[in-house]
Amino acid sequence: MIRRIARKELTEMIRDGRFRVLAAAVLGVSVLSLAVGWKQYADISRQHQVAQAATRSQWLHQTTKNPHSAAHYGVYAFKPKSPLAIVDTGVDPYMGVAVWLEAHKQNEFKYRPAADRTAVERFGEMTAAETLQVLVPLFIVLMTFSAFAGEREQGTLRQLLSLGVKPRDLALGKAAGVGAALGLILLPAALLGVAALALTSDGGFLSGSVWRTILLVLFYLAYFATFVAISLGVSARARSSRLALVLLLAFWFANSLIASRVAADVASWLHPTPSAVEFQKAMEADLNQPQEMERRLALRTAELMRQYRVDSPEALPIAMQGVSLQEGENHGDEVFDAHYGRLFDTFERQNTVYQVGGLAAPMLAIRSVSMGLAGTDFNQHRHFITAAEAYRRLIQRTMNDDIMAHPVKGGGTADAERRGPYVAGSELWAKVPPFEYEAPATSWVLANTRWSIAMLAVWLILASVWMSRPIATRAI
Amino acid sequence: MIARLLRHEWRVLRADATVWVVGVVFAAAIGYAMVNGVRWVAFVRHAESAATAEESERHAQIQAQIDALQRDRKPVAPFGDPRNPTMFGSRFGPRYAMLPPAPLAAVAIGQSDLLPSYFKVSTDARETIVGASEIENPHRLLVGRFDLAFVIVFLYPLLILAVTYNMLSSEKEQGTLALALAQPVGLGTLTIGKVIVRALVLVGVVVGVSMIALVSGGASLGAPGAIARIGLWMAVVAAYGGLWFALAVLVASFGRPSATNATIVATLWLLLVVMLPSLFNLLATTIHPVPSRVEMIQAVRVASDEAAGAGSALLARYYEDHPELATGGAEQAMNDFNIIRVAVDDDVAKRARPVVDRYERQLARQQTMIDRLRFLSPAVLMQDALNDVAGTGVPRHRHFLAQVDRYHAQWRGFVVPLIFQKTRVTNADLAPRFEYQEEATAAVVRRVLIAALGMVIPAVLMAFIGLRRLRRYPVVG
Repeated sequence: MIRRIARKELTEMIRDGRFRVLAAAVLGVSVLSLAVGWKQYADISRQHQVAQAATRSQWLHQTTKNPHSAAHYGVYAFKPKSPLAIVDTGVDPYMGVAVWLEAHKQNEFKYRPAADRTAVERFGEMTAAETLQVLVPLFIVLMTFSAFAGEREQGTLRQLLSLGVKPRDLALGKAAGVGAALGLILLPAALLGVAALALTSDGGFLSGSVWRTILLVLFYLAYFATFVAISLGVSARARSSRLALVLLLAFWFANSLIASRVAADVASWLHPTPSAVEFQKAMEADLNQPQEMERRLALRTAELMRQYRVDSPEALPIAMQGVSLQEGENHGDEVFDAHYGRLFDTFERQNTVYQVGGLAAPMLAIRSVSMGLAGTDFNQHRHFITAAEAYRRLIQRTMNDDIMAHPVKGGGTADAERRGPYVAGSELWAKVPPFEYEAPATSWVLANTRWSIAMLAVWLILASVWMSRPIATRAI
Repeated sequence: MIARLLRHEWRVLRADATVWVVGVVFAAAIGYAMVNGVRWVAFVRHAESAATAEESERHAQIQAQIDALQRDRKPVAPFGDPRNPTMFGSRFGPRYAMLPPAPLAAVAIGQSDLLPSYFKVSTDARETIVGASEIENPHRLLVGRFDLAFVIVFLYPLLILAVTYNMLSSEKEQGTLALALAQPVGLGTLTIGKVIVRALVLVGVVVGVSMIALVSGGASLGAPGAIARIGLWMAVVAAYGGLWFALAVLVASFGRPSATNATIVATLWLLLVVMLPSLFNLLATTIHPVPSRVEMIQAVRVASDEAAGAGSALLARYYEDHPELATGGAEQAMNDFNIIRVAVDDDVAKRARPVVDRYERQLARQQTMIDRLRFLSPAVLMQDALNDVAGTGVPRHRHFLAQVDRYHAQWRGFVVPLIFQKTRVTNADLAPRFEYQEEATAAVVRRVLIAALGMVIPAVLMAFIGLRRLRRYPVVG
């Protein structure tokens, strides 16, 4: 029965002029956004790979110099792009593309792509995710607002129910019909998307890309199903098809445009962040602690003296400059971890508010999940920041260990001054391994977006239950 | 006659619950939006005063340090000596260049959450200085703000269309249109009367609520240019509203039933306000993609390497010309380091300039394309106009950046001679300060009026065509 109803709905829909126009529009925009997304991904990915290789080459080909100079020269780290960014660019336009890994400082990522674009950028990019999150629900609303209300107005609803068709079967049949119509439109786009992903098989970056793609498809299907259910539910209960349309459009407007902005306001009101100048000032105050540095150095010197069984620091067979540099780094690292950690935790708390806000609007939920799986949300960015910072600390430790291991004999004498400071060459530079970044596992993503997933599930279940409840209570 | 029309229309409208709902929703949205705007301006002001305080504190500290060093003549490492001009210019002494919020900044947050309002100007490279950013959750930047500009650009047209899509078709369906037109009044006049009443209600709500919110939010209405900006704002709100009313009249003139009208106006809203701007963005970034910053970083780094490699050669050449200055010792080494750094920085800036220029040219081309395309989407025009009125758009920020560049040159102009003369900094107060010169109001007026014209001309056109078509409106059946 359900299949028969679904087939009838589908046929009717395909013959509707409205459907053809809307379908062409949705398909057209999906294909366009996928094509542009693919091109942008290919370009940026290539640039970042080239740049990463170049910065490594620059590091290896440094002239002989003191290792601390090399530490100041540093390397750049470029954030790799995930293939699924073709579908959802997430917050990538608003996050820096490169970070300079140098001594003594944890730098911020520089050059947000959005800051280099025009003000129209703030209207949004027409990514495939935007199409799926904003346009497809509108398509669903326009195709189904008159599903029940229209039939009631035409008088055919009474006839159907008099045949003994169960209201739930009717609802499911109509849902299946819309689903099939949607599938007809989105399947070509989806196949194109998968082909694009397969073509970008550099393999290295995104482990588990297959799983992420499957999950992405499933979550979007859940989102569409929620909208179908809501739309059919409203259509069944509204007094007229016009009222159904107005209510659904209002819901769509609130869902797409208003909910995220209000959630953003609530998030920043609950968990405010400092201004850049205050953040820097607080960090610098914690960094400039000469007594703390002296204390650390004294402790470490004592430890080393115990280790080498000597009575005085001068008798240590290592260069104290290396020790003092490393202690400086350790102190700095603690300060950076504290301050940046606090800031990023605040961002994550704000993002949790967005996720929980999915209770009020399914768009918030699907957006977080979509960005998470595409690897373009803040959690992913923080994961990369942590990895880059660990690499920076590795460089510093390697350089400082080398300085420690090569004390300049007879320091302070004219002989030593003539010989000049200790310099190292390419064997030391090569000791630092190239920066390898591994994307986090899909389970990590799912754990981070668990609230959104829960909200999506809640919406789907509630909407489906609501849709399937008997409509016989309503005047037919 | 018109007065009677208006009075009658007002009575009919007053009885319609929909209009009240629309009015209340609108007023609530505007109130909430203004609260957001005022809070944002407060944040920017707070950040800027924190910057000023930080600068004065730091300068007081280093002046005290300088005085102590001059008095006691205790030895101090060159890298920690605030009298060392290189260290003063790059680490101890830098001042802030600040862009104060314009009088009506609460109206549109625009780009001011993405483009920073203050920069710490030191002797660092220009790209390093202007590459700094304000702290904000990227998700929030992506999502956008619920400010007055959002309400006006997105919600205002929707509400206009909601109260006008059936102004003629519902009367026709009820049968009262024929009765009304039995009076000595033309359909055109009737329509204009209906539009005027609705326009007065909606525009009245917008202007009234926003003015109340602005004043109570502490907007400095006495500031130069504030009155002009308020006038401009009212003009663009009226122009944008006029455009959508004209569109509604045009759609109504086709004589379709209410339900069809609803679909048509909803589609037009979606197209003009939601889809076209994103499509333009797509077009502009695909046709004129900005060259990669990543490539720029690499090019500048290669240039630095070459310049640093040449640095010693540069210094050697300098001493060939000034052998009397080659005295030797730690002091000499520090001075040498300072001078090499100046020479290297200049060299890097020179080599990096073509790369950065190519970048900015491509960005300018993208901007020009958008500037032309935006006349096809009233939403983009309106957003730009509101950003200009609020002073949070890209043109004002560029105006600010040009001044920052000049100040940066001024700062280097203060520090570099001290380096070459090997003079110590003894009075931190002598370091130049940044004074922001506001844009001429005439420039703002020009930009906003161009945008307003881009809305008024199509509005007049559509209204004209619509009113003409009304002559053949099927009043019955």
